[in-house]
Amino acid sequence: MLVILTGPEIQRQVGAGRIIIDPFRPEQVRPNSYDFALGTRIAGYDDEVLDVSVKNRSWQQEIGPDGFVLWPGRIYLGHTVEVMGSDYYVPIIRARSSIARLGLFIHVTADLIDIGSINQWTLQLFAVQPLRIYANMVVGQVTFWQTQGRIELYEGKYQGSRGPTPSLSYHDFATTKPASVAKS
Amino acid sequence: MILTGPEIQQAVTQGDIVLDPFDPSLLNPNSYNYRLAPFIKVLDRPILDGLDCDQNPREIELPQAGMVFIPRRVYLGSTVETIGSDHYVTSLIGRSSLGRLGVFLQVSADLGNLGAVHKWTLEIVVAQPVRLFPGMQVGQVSFWQATGDRLPYGGYFGRYSHPVQSNPAVVCS
Repeated sequence: MLVILTGPEIQRQVGAGRIIIDPFRPEQVRPNSYDFALGTRIAGYDDEVLDVSVKNRSWQQEIGPDGFVLWPGRIYLGHTVEVMGSDYYVPIIRARSSIARLGLFIHVTADLIDIGSINQWTLQLFAVQPLRIYANMVVGQVTFWQTQGRIELYEGKYQGSRGPTPSLSYHDFATTKPASVAKS
Repeated sequence: MILTGPEIQQAVTQGDIVLDPFDPSLLNPNSYNYRLAPFIKVLDRPILDGLDCDQNPREIELPQAGMVFIPRRVYLGSTVETIGSDHYVTSLIGRSSLGRLGVFLQVSADLGNLGAVHKWTLEIVVAQPVRLFPGMQVGQVSFWQATGDRLPYGGYFGRYSHPVQSNPAVVCS
């Protein structure tokens, strides 16, 4: 029973147009994943105290040639260089172990990508110690998984994302106040 | 293989997956959004002890106006929903909308056990102070096909439907 795609199968599916990885570099194919790179823009929030029910003010800038230092105690948003996704397989992302060994999380318990979400994915960067990062570093791996059942593609609020995209969690609160959410 | 959203819905209808209460509007293409129950336990002693029997958690009920969670604390929450399956393996994670605000929903323990059907304990850790609300959609659960003979679930935590702290008997066994 097939479950996770091997590297050669990922490459074959990219060739067949059933997986999007753009740009695609064959040298970044791994035995059962594909290595993706950190894009040039980085974002974060202006305020220290955040609120899931409101639009938190955010900043965004280029990562210069000297890199960018991530500090503990803050959440930063990066993005993949690649536009990635699939209408046929479910992607799951994780850090490369070389990045993990430096104490950098590249997602915050959100490794599962919806089928049909084809974007520059936003990376949730959280550093345990201060860490300098650079644009175009190969920071993570994407795997692709077979599905069971009828497929309905992602049409969610992050579709079409390019660059780091701050949370839109406040959309959940736009029509329903938290008080009535709690009753449901 | 991972179940698609429509397949999760069908399995709930057939009784192969328990998601209770179930709301079809919380289905995603390959997962289901669970919600945060109002009761939280905080482990805020200066040094936690892996052999301490009760960890002395402080219990909090989240007010409707929400509560600011602060960094460097583990908060134990639970799902509103009773979740589990005898047929499919459960994986419990956060959501990107919460991850983008620096909210971890578990601490490298995302894999459920076949047959454990309960309100799951969430290990909530935040990167920055952040206000969370009771009843909000905070994470996602996915379901995976299994192969092989089944071992009946006899685990310690599967019987609990409120946030449960670590138990040294489990840690040391």
